[in-house]
Amino acid sequence: MAILDSTIFSSYERDHALFDELYDSNGKVKDIYQKLFALYGAHSIDDYMRLNEKAKSSFFNQGITFQVYDDKEMQEKIFPFDLFPRIIDAKEWELIEKGAIQRSRALNLFLHDIYHDKKILKQGVVPLELVSSSENYLHQMMGVDPPGGIYNHISGTDIIKHNDGKYYVLEDNIRCPSGVSYVICNRTALKRALFGVFNHYETHTVTNYAENLLDLLETVKPKGVDSPNTVVITPGMYNSAFYEHSYLAKTMGVELVEGRDLFVENEFVYMRTIKGPVKVDIIYRRIDDQFLDPLEFRADSALGVPGLFSAYKKGNVTLANAPGTGVADDKAVYTYMPDIIKYYLDETPILNNVHTYHCSRPDELKYVLEHIHELVIKPVDEAGGYGISIGNRLSKEEIEKVKKQIQESPRKYVAQPIMSLSVHPTYIDETNSFEQRHVDLRTFTILGKDKDFVLKGGLTRVALKRGNLVVNSSQGGGSKDTWVLKP
Amino acid sequence: MLARVANNLFWMGRYIERSEHIARYMHVNYFSSLDAPNELSRSRQFVLNSMLRMIGDPESPEGTELNEEDVLFKLALDHDHPYSIISNVKYTRENANSARDLISTDLYESINKFYHFVLKYPVDHFLKKGMYDFCINIIEMSSILRGKIRSTLLHDEVYAIILLGVNLERANQLIRIINSKYKDASISKGGYGNTFRNSFEWTTLLKSVESYDMMRRFYKKTPTSATTLEFLILNPNCPRSLMNSLNQIYRHIRVLDNSFRYNKNSTAFLVGRVRSEYQYKYIEEIEGNIEQFIDGMLKNLADIGTKMENEFFHY
Repeated sequence: MAILDSTIFSSYERDHALFDELYDSNGKVKDIYQKLFALYGAHSIDDYMRLNEKAKSSFFNQGITFQVYDDKEMQEKIFPFDLFPRIIDAKEWELIEKGAIQRSRALNLFLHDIYHDKKILKQGVVPLELVSSSENYLHQMMGVDPPGGIYNHISGTDIIKHNDGKYYVLEDNIRCPSGVSYVICNRTALKRALFGVFNHYETHTVTNYAENLLDLLETVKPKGVDSPNTVVITPGMYNSAFYEHSYLAKTMGVELVEGRDLFVENEFVYMRTIKGPVKVDIIYRRIDDQFLDPLEFRADSALGVPGLFSAYKKGNVTLANAPGTGVADDKAVYTYMPDIIKYYLDETPILNNVHTYHCSRPDELKYVLEHIHELVIKPVDEAGGYGISIGNRLSKEEIEKVKKQIQESPRKYVAQPIMSLSVHPTYIDETNSFEQRHVDLRTFTILGKDKDFVLKGGLTRVALKRGNLVVNSSQGGGSKDTWVLKP
Repeated sequence: MLARVANNLFWMGRYIERSEHIARYMHVNYFSSLDAPNELSRSRQFVLNSMLRMIGDPESPEGTELNEEDVLFKLALDHDHPYSIISNVKYTRENANSARDLISTDLYESINKFYHFVLKYPVDHFLKKGMYDFCINIIEMSSILRGKIRSTLLHDEVYAIILLGVNLERANQLIRIINSKYKDASISKGGYGNTFRNSFEWTTLLKSVESYDMMRRFYKKTPTSATTLEFLILNPNCPRSLMNSLNQIYRHIRVLDNSFRYNKNSTAFLVGRVRSEYQYKYIEEIEGNIEQFIDGMLKNLADIGTKMENEFFHY
């Protein structure tokens, strides 16, 4: 492989403790990446830098940017995009797809249950206080039947590959998951820069998301509506995800509205057009529960529509996702996902949950105390990462202190193994070479009435700082095009 | 289409058109003054005043010495001046942003490039030697935008609204430019071979609205006050003429309101009325009363704008 000696991969350093998506444990490039590796390796560093610049300007010119303030002026920045794609083969993908649908379905049944009979709580499978104490639980949703029986129409499932080579779900996002527009933009940008590489792989398209979204949303139209009128509602053009909102409205061919464009009369929703009021039947909402309707939720909300919730309760309009879904995607409920799947579907989970040890159970408490150095300890009732201790970063004294806290009130703590995200070769501007960076994957699942869809692809997010595990774009994360291969 | 978004698209059309007119007026007047046949038209103060008058800046008191760089900066790159080209381009993009779902990706991308071009243009370069380059680019980019509007959008209500903005603004700018050059011609008359009727300023006026070549082709004579005004106001085949803009406005308002019988309070009614009036005018009626014509037409155009707002953009 002499030809590759001076290429962009030549200074690639591998940390053997990490699971590398490109190389196997013997240091050999994996079969599915062979061709891609050769194609990219044939570029000189200068070539590659030029392509990289071209890809960046493609994003810039398309206005796919976010705004940051430096010392005095507002600056437009693009989301960092990496030209080296991530590949997932057909077999692995099948597992991810089935697993994502299974979780979405189970969560949907769970939501229906906790807003109706609460069987799962009454039977003690999931503790009652987990739900009743959640600030995302909307008592207003009690007994409400969403059109078509669907709560979480759109789910974004965050999946990682651990160093055991297996996929684990880290989080289910079933409020307003975002990022799907970047999946499509990444594909477009990669095509513009390196169209030739697509000749060597058969990759599933990602541009069919919007048509499927509209299709499935229309399956849950309100009763008595023949051809429904769908809109996307956005907080406005200063929202960080505005590009995505407008992208989805445009590709679905529906109106993008703000709260002030809608009004409710006799419990029906209308939008104000140049030809007067037009009835709206399905709202893909990208504003949070609390801002939906100032009459029902936060009274100071200027983003929502007064009376919207009463129209919803009457069944005159579909909201996607339904209000109140947030109760099911928080940390505490996550730990019960295997039980929730078993309870409603009588199936074993297809995708792994990160195992959770409940310190309230004596045998699990014993395990936690003995293995604290390889666990993450989390308080059950704190949100936003507060009070978390990561075992292998604690000093001896700190470990003793944590142990004491757990023993004093074991019910307050859970523990999980420290997960290691797999790494993927990522082009780094500062060094002009590829380096290992941690990645995750967000998949997008749509549920309709008796129909579902998973986008074959997803958002591979990259933590651009060396060693960093946080892939969020707000913390300097980038992303990659993700190829799902045809069988 | 949402009323709020329609309003934004209407203004997007107006701002695109406005940027182009300011850019052209600036470079045409500046350059034509450099070798103008009489001293007054050659005077820099005369040109700078004319530029400020065109963007509707209040007349500076008699005897004020204008600084060339200040005036050029104000017209082109001053973020704080609402009529500057940079402000117009900023508003264009802002309005396009809110209607991003309705316009083509292609059009949006061009607007975005336009915006970044103006935003990044170095002020110093512009003032010292880049004025022509800057203006020509603005003119070309606004043509590209109009081209993309025509060739990549569905010719439906969205299109009609944008073109209503473009044409209403074009008519407005034309009247303002006529007003400005008419004043210039009145001020500069008196010199040898420079009567009002044969003023050098009529040529500049035609060039300011990119109609000089076609006017020569049509009349085959040196422009006079009567032929210039006739061409720019009444000739429906001149794409920059008032008559042409009125015809376009009429055509596009009928897309929004195609009722067989007019409602006398509707925008379409008012547009039809103004258009018919000018369809049957001859230039002698206007030439003797230019000031009256200018005031009347500006009022008509403002009324059409207000009516549109009440009828279509009320939200």
